[in-house]
Amino acid sequence: MIRLINGALFRKFKQIETEIHELNYLFWECTTRCNLNCLHCGSDCAKDSKFQDMPFADFLAALDTIESKPAHFTVVLTGGEPLLRKDIETCGREIRKRGMRWSMVSNGLLYEKEMHNKLLNAGMGALTFSLDGLQENHNWLRNNKNSFAKVDLAIDLAVRSPRLNFDVVTCVNKRNIAELPDIYNYLLNKGVKAWRLFTIVPIGRATENEDLFLTDQQFKETLDFIANMREINQLDVKFSCEGFVGKYESKVRDSGFFCRAGINIGSILIDGSISACPNIDRSFAQGNIYKDNFYQIWQTKFEAFRNREWTKTGECNNCGDYKDCQGNGMHYWHGNRKNVLTCHNHKLKMYFWNKRKQI
Amino acid sequence: MTKNWKRNLIGGLSFTSMLFIFQACYGTPHDVGYDVLVEGNVKSKTTGQPIKGIKVAPYNDIQQVFTDENGNFSFYILADYSIGLRFEDVDSTLNGGFASKDTVLTNLTSQIFVNIALDSK
Repeated sequence: MIRLINGALFRKFKQIETEIHELNYLFWECTTRCNLNCLHCGSDCAKDSKFQDMPFADFLAALDTIESKPAHFTVVLTGGEPLLRKDIETCGREIRKRGMRWSMVSNGLLYEKEMHNKLLNAGMGALTFSLDGLQENHNWLRNNKNSFAKVDLAIDLAVRSPRLNFDVVTCVNKRNIAELPDIYNYLLNKGVKAWRLFTIVPIGRATENEDLFLTDQQFKETLDFIANMREINQLDVKFSCEGFVGKYESKVRDSGFFCRAGINIGSILIDGSISACPNIDRSFAQGNIYKDNFYQIWQTKFEAFRNREWTKTGECNNCGDYKDCQGNGMHYWHGNRKNVLTCHNHKLKMYFWNKRKQI
Repeated sequence: MTKNWKRNLIGGLSFTSMLFIFQACYGTPHDVGYDVLVEGNVKSKTTGQPIKGIKVAPYNDIQQVFTDENGNFSFYILADYSIGLRFEDVDSTLNGGFASKDTVLTNLTSQIFVNIALDSK
């Protein structure tokens, strides 16, 4: 009974959040250049991007259109690899001057002591590093033999800075799933406080490699692992907000699934496009800072993000969990939008169905 | 305003208040920490001239910043009840020789300006 009431309240909460659609989390795809060539890259980033880095002044002009900035409004610098830009420190300071916070997602390859110091001095408040396994598996996925050693040092720097809200993210795949307990212990010994686990979206380069995608059973094992580690509670382990996971919802996250793309999360992409999370299909762009007023677009458009009825198609049509899931994460809708790319809930259901069949 | 009130109430009732602070897929956690922007200027007590290259560092922290040619410095550091700063001449006699100095900042606001005069060695 309590679960039902709680579920109804949560749905109401999501509805109100959607109506208010307060922008408080803004991605800036400041570069699409990258110093890695990861096997799972969804954006096909490369050393030589076809796009020039966006001039910071152009981004600032868009940022300055935002009329209402809630407390803890965070600008998230992402790429590509943001540290390939030479002006990150300047960017950070200017963002802080405007009363906003800033943070960064990095692969850690260029993250050394001097850089760490500069970024903290410029007011960076949150940081995420990608770690996709211990040495062998991380270097395999990152396609670079030095990648683990570099991110290992970067993690050491980050955990020594209490100012930072810092976490590590891991893309779980066929190769690293068996070593999740070892990664857990590694992070614990390092002093890391928070760890988020993802699965890999079948887009970009990722589509070429079957090793990257979990079977239904492996996916269920991943969620079991997260749930167990949350029980032990030595490290804040969670499944990312990428998708709805049915009966595991309350076991693997702090709260229920809520894709906030276009509701609280916006983005300014490398070509000036205005959208939500950068991994969402670019055809969902709502405008462009080079011809539109960013905040006006945020306030008046984003219909496809705030009313997801259109996702009631394909697998989602007639799904009994639709009211809680609403089409999974927006980044799972690509191409003709006729079907969701991955349904996490379906993977779980298939696992349990097959298990029952075996019995 | 009414909607914000409703949101807080319903979010609280459904034990989802933590959802006001979230992290996007492939993003970072929200920055909910507290810090202070410490700016300042370092001069020679003897000549009144600004000193370049003085290292300014909070106690027990790996963060540090150096004064520029006008003696100015600026950095964000973790907010606390008080902040101890050390001013240290680390470039030997390149910009003159100065004795180190410690100072403790109290009554912190989000932005603080500090003027420091260093004695010659």
